[in-house]
Amino acid sequence: MKLTLDWLQNYVDLGGLAPEKLADHLTMLGLEVDAVTPLYDELAPLRTGLVVAAEKHPDADKLTVCQVKIGEETHQIVCGAPNVRKDLAVVVALPGTLLPGDVKIGKSKIRGVQSGGMICSERELGLGTAHDGIMELPANTEHGQAFIEALGLKDTFVEVDLTPNRPDCASVIGIAREVAGILGKPLVLPVSDAKIKGTSTEFAVEVESSDLCPRYAGRLIKNVKIGPSPWWLRKRLLSIGQRPINNIVDITNFVMMEYGQPLHAFDFDTLAGKKIVVRAPRESEMTFTTLDGSIRQLDAEMMMICDGEKPVAVAGIMGGENSEVSDVTTTILLESACFNPVSVRRTARKLNLASEASYRFERGVDPEGTINALNRAVQLICELAEGEAPEDGVDYYGGRKESKTLKLSVARTMSLLGISLTAGEIVGLLGSIGLPCRPQDDQVVLVDAPSFRLDIEREADLIEEVARLYGYNKIPTTLPKVELSYPEQDNHRRRRLKIADRLTSTGFSEAINYSFVSEKHAEMVGLTSDDRRCQAVRLLNPISEEQGVLRTMLLPGLLENVRRNINFQKTDIKLFEIGKVFSPAGENIQPVETMRLAGVLSGNRYGESSPLYFKQEAVDIFDTKGCVEFVLKEMGLGCLDNPEGIHFAVPQEGSGESYAENGYCLDVYHATEKLGTLGKIKAEVLRRFSIKHDVYFFDLDFQGICLPETIAKKFVGLPVYPSVKRDIAIVVPDGVSAGELIAAVRKHPDKLVESCELFDVFQGEKIQSGHKSVALSITYRSQSKTLTEKNVEKSHEKILRLLTEQFGGTFRDA
Amino acid sequence: MEHQLQSLETEARKSLEQLSDSGQLEEFRVRFLGRKGDFSTIMRQLGTVPAEERPRVGQLANSIKAEIERLFEGKKAALAATASGSAGKATPDLSLPGRCPAGGKLHPITLVMRETCAIFENLGFSVAEGPDVELDYYNFEALNIPAHHPARDMHDTFYISDSVLLRTHTSPMQARIMEAQQPPLRVIAPGKVYRCDSDITHTPMFHQVEGFLVDKNISFADLKGVLTVFTRKMFEKELPLRFRPSFFPFTEPSAEVDIACVICGGEGCRVCKKTGWLEILGSGMIDPEVFKMVGYDPEVYSGFAFGLGIERIAMLKYGIDDIRLFYENDQRFLSQF
Repeated sequence: MKLTLDWLQNYVDLGGLAPEKLADHLTMLGLEVDAVTPLYDELAPLRTGLVVAAEKHPDADKLTVCQVKIGEETHQIVCGAPNVRKDLAVVVALPGTLLPGDVKIGKSKIRGVQSGGMICSERELGLGTAHDGIMELPANTEHGQAFIEALGLKDTFVEVDLTPNRPDCASVIGIAREVAGILGKPLVLPVSDAKIKGTSTEFAVEVESSDLCPRYAGRLIKNVKIGPSPWWLRKRLLSIGQRPINNIVDITNFVMMEYGQPLHAFDFDTLAGKKIVVRAPRESEMTFTTLDGSIRQLDAEMMMICDGEKPVAVAGIMGGENSEVSDVTTTILLESACFNPVSVRRTARKLNLASEASYRFERGVDPEGTINALNRAVQLICELAEGEAPEDGVDYYGGRKESKTLKLSVARTMSLLGISLTAGEIVGLLGSIGLPCRPQDDQVVLVDAPSFRLDIEREADLIEEVARLYGYNKIPTTLPKVELSYPEQDNHRRRRLKIADRLTSTGFSEAINYSFVSEKHAEMVGLTSDDRRCQAVRLLNPISEEQGVLRTMLLPGLLENVRRNINFQKTDIKLFEIGKVFSPAGENIQPVETMRLAGVLSGNRYGESSPLYFKQEAVDIFDTKGCVEFVLKEMGLGCLDNPEGIHFAVPQEGSGESYAENGYCLDVYHATEKLGTLGKIKAEVLRRFSIKHDVYFFDLDFQGICLPETIAKKFVGLPVYPSVKRDIAIVVPDGVSAGELIAAVRKHPDKLVESCELFDVFQGEKIQSGHKSVALSITYRSQSKTLTEKNVEKSHEKILRLLTEQFGGTFRDA
Repeated sequence: MEHQLQSLETEARKSLEQLSDSGQLEEFRVRFLGRKGDFSTIMRQLGTVPAEERPRVGQLANSIKAEIERLFEGKKAALAATASGSAGKATPDLSLPGRCPAGGKLHPITLVMRETCAIFENLGFSVAEGPDVELDYYNFEALNIPAHHPARDMHDTFYISDSVLLRTHTSPMQARIMEAQQPPLRVIAPGKVYRCDSDITHTPMFHQVEGFLVDKNISFADLKGVLTVFTRKMFEKELPLRFRPSFFPFTEPSAEVDIACVICGGEGCRVCKKTGWLEILGSGMIDPEVFKMVGYDPEVYSGFAFGLGIERIAMLKYGIDDIRLFYENDQRFLSQF
């Protein structure tokens, strides 16, 4: 809502209150002030002048050489306007002045004649569109004055950001009512409690549904003279950024801003059958041209204002071209009505047409204010357009609602707000903004819900008013007295926090990407069309195609992050994200949301660390595998080679992830359920993301790795007896994996075998081709005694036998 | 023998002075103080000294030995001190950088989110999370925002279908939890929220924390108390604070909470739009309609709810001036927090 202080002053005495102070009052009443700015500051350097001489330019027909008196000085100014003449009071921009639109005025010679300044038109001043001549000031304007003061333009513009519950404040009077309350001053209204005789001999009104149109009033004004509005009215509209059009349109706009009641003026002579019918459009009437010149497609649910034959306006939103007031209009039918908010809102949405009128009707206008605004506008039209208005008119009020009397409990008000007040004090507060109220007794205040406050319907609404008027900041600050209780912990969330902490401690940074992504991602990572992750949940109204579907994987987002970092020369990358992915569950059903953990690695293993100590080695598949092992260990999943539990497996030929390089990919399983994958991203996939560096990834189902049995930690007694280590170097065919050897030793039933670690793998000159040497370190320990050489030897021999028999290995000297 | 002892002392002093490294020091020890050294050699003659002289000579010998030992130890210490002080080869250049363990960073949103949750958890609130994709019912209807209510204009909603949407706030958790549990309740609900809005101050996805407390006799003054604690803890300063009337369909009375601008200290600047105040959260007493929809008796229970935007708090806390930085995951950005 836009207004100026000078305008507001018409309805409530501001008593010289500073604009900032007033803004503060409004904001603290819940009418948040967005802007308080002096108006026309940019016009401050302009002066009024008097043309004391005007002669034809010697060398140009259309130019006039003027002598303009500005106070003590006289300036020679060459002017091209046809209406410049001697004794005219004008607006002058002297050299050095900066006009709106950054036009700088200088001294110049125009066709050989000196010109010191410019005489301005309304358009040059930003005050209107008239450019057919210079602005003519009233004849009695004294020269040498500041222009904005001479015309009373000095004013302060205020913009209030209204919440949807306060349509009453979409009017200068509504705001004035609040200000009057806070300042304790009376509210002065130009027209109030107006009535009209309910029938007219000259026209009729028919309303199909009192629910859609509770009230429709109209009056005729005859013999109007359409013309420009007087300066004071144009000034009001200009000051809030509205363009003055003609006296009739300007008056309807002005009264709408004043009272918050939208009005519409019809050219009465264009209305067939001398009547107004409020109804839905007929099948033959489904196109309609609104007065902005657009052709609108209607439907049967819309509400139209029609004459005896055809629609002439979209109710509550915009008039039609066919009944618009024009320069030749002489008789006006002025409409002031009240329409159903939901109906107006739906229609405005469908037509994609929002107007000042629809804004107010959607939120609700005061059904009792209809006639006040109508009569105010009629009065102004008679004054400013020389119209004559018959006393009578039509006032259809089929949707009248009984005013409700609300009961406000004093005790409840006090307990809900945490303050103490008497019934009398409450009446004082509510009465200050014109709410009719009285104490019933000490404990109850009765309030007649006023028609201008449609948001007040319940006791809770009144308690809010009391709090607002009392002042939120005067309400004390206390802590609730509640029973002590232990907040439930969400273990899933806690584990997420823990894993994030652990990953950051190993050099990963956390990424957060949008939940919506480009549909192209599926294709970019090469998913086959039967992959479930190609089925994404689609947004009906995305911001762009780049954010058109909900993500089904985290990886593409992270790859976008990799590209960005590389582009900015951050090539050592370790990023992870813990976030949801979405898969459709059916029409009109919420999709399945699954939490995943994914990470990407690229560049050097030690990243930012000083190359002084750390060799610049690139990350590889084992860094990636190590990360996943670390995560699983931190999740409490210690043993990773039990096929019944969590374990790694090389994907079968052709069943690996489409984006993972063959031979550089491992799947993570829980028994037979796949929980995720780690590996190296294929070069062709990276190319689609414009990445030229190697990138490794891991991607895990977070819910899947949160196994409940791993929550509890159990202590295992520390060994009492020393261990004995034996190393073995075994040469096996290339086909035997190190993992198989280790697993075989670990699974060996000999009770003395405690652990088995790998410490070397190599191929080379000394090794038979097609073979490799694998070095293992086996730890033996007994829980009941210190082992002797003999004990260990016996077990060790069994292990050696097992390895040679099972894998066909031969031993090297360890 | 007395003479021998005295000249030994003089000689010892002289050679000690000339010593310059620890090898020579050891030679000195062997020569003068060793078991077969000069001092021992002289002392073997003690038996030849007349008996009445022996105590005196013995005493003298002891004091000379003690003196030589003292000088020896002193020289040893001095040499050790010089060795560690000057020999560049033997000690490291401590201006070299430390061998830093690798460390990554949590996302600033996570940091502020955790801090926010921790403050409320310490006040006894439990944490609950809900779906990002919500039903129209929980996002709007159950919060007293029927279809065609102008308040829907406050939410630029992403739709999946007519009745399924991306939640525009974390408030649906109010309805979901109240529907499933009975008061007293003290809950916060952190999460991602979505609105179709994208510019320098808006991203289409952002983070909120919803919180609510329902019990008997909960007042607006209590709301002020809890949110004042939060603000003070989050900004670690005695910042001026104000509660300002506002409107949310699911609370009444409703309040926005403003803090004095942390950028200009309340003087007025670009960030606070010259008002000196910054809006940091919305709140209010839970509307009786919301209680009725979940079957609570508004005559018995009252409560308050609040919702705060994590991005906004993070921007104010760290002085971040472009919200889009949060979603670019640039390591140069992430490494700063």
